[in-house]
Amino acid sequence: MVGLFFGLASEPLAAEKLFSIGPLDITNAMLFSVITAAFLVALLLMAAKYSQLHPKSKLAYIIELLIDGIWSVAIGTFGDRKTALKHLPLLATLFTFILVGNLSGSGLLPGVGTITAHTGGHVSPLLRPFTTDLNATLSMAILTIGLVQFYALKQLGLKGHIRHYFAKPLYNPMNLFIGLNEVFGELLRIITLSMRLFGVIYAGEVLIAAVGSLAGNFAWIATVPTVLLEIFFSIIQAYVFMMLSATYLSVAIGGGEHDKHKAEKPGKELEPAKA
Amino acid sequence: MNHVDPALIKGLAIGLGAIGPAIGVGLIGASAVGAIGRNPEMQGRILSTAFVMAGLVDAVLAFVLLIVFTT
Repeated sequence: MVGLFFGLASEPLAAEKLFSIGPLDITNAMLFSVITAAFLVALLLMAAKYSQLHPKSKLAYIIELLIDGIWSVAIGTFGDRKTALKHLPLLATLFTFILVGNLSGSGLLPGVGTITAHTGGHVSPLLRPFTTDLNATLSMAILTIGLVQFYALKQLGLKGHIRHYFAKPLYNPMNLFIGLNEVFGELLRIITLSMRLFGVIYAGEVLIAAVGSLAGNFAWIATVPTVLLEIFFSIIQAYVFMMLSATYLSVAIGGGEHDKHKAEKPGKELEPAKA
Repeated sequence: MNHVDPALIKGLAIGLGAIGPAIGVGLIGASAVGAIGRNPEMQGRILSTAFVMAGLVDAVLAFVLLIVFTT
């Protein structure tokens, strides 16, 4: 009985097809992600337009606070102002995009998942939070790891990049084994990055539905703690995705850590920190 | 053993799968509290790192919930 209930309450694992343009099927998750991207571009452009030294507009002020938080993460990870400034747009894009998707997944945005469309004889929600679709998170993870590889190749060159995985005496079997492990780990990062985001957000949404169906008439009050928990997890997961991609980037381009070791030479330790 | 209630299996899966993340979150919390006790002026950075680590560990429980609810 309970199993039947869960099966009925949860939404299907795959995003549903709404219509198709030629051979390309447009699903509801794709539709919502395009709408979100357009909305975010418009919002951030507007904030950038109204941004000034002493911001009078509240929107610009709030967006500047957000970007400042991302900036502190970037400068903490890369350790170098120039590199951090170069990679800030990627991190800000990832964070805001994932955050909007996650928050709509925990039921904060009205209309997402509740407005339905009748297509091809069956009813499906018109908008679906794209982070509850494995395709979206997988594509984001592939893009992120691909960009990491691209920047590493650009920074270190092909030889330096391969040296990053395989240490100097290659005839040593241990070095070869460690290098192969590292390459495999790079592929595994795509899987873990995508599955973590997808798993947490989708399981959260299903959990809300399950609690709602178990509570019956009192679903309106019983789901409140779960929704609050999901809002917390949404923010944490968006932050984790952004921070992990920043860490991968900083390790791959060999910035951050080496500079930190240079700065922490024993001779410089006696100088007072002016921060 | 021919007819096992699926609800029993699901409950067992949630219970057994929650052991690992629970231990992990407990360890994170214990070390975070210990670290704040050692140097309280670093509280903000320690707490943010601890939350991120809790987010990483919670993903394991999310996988369990995902498998349980979708099968």
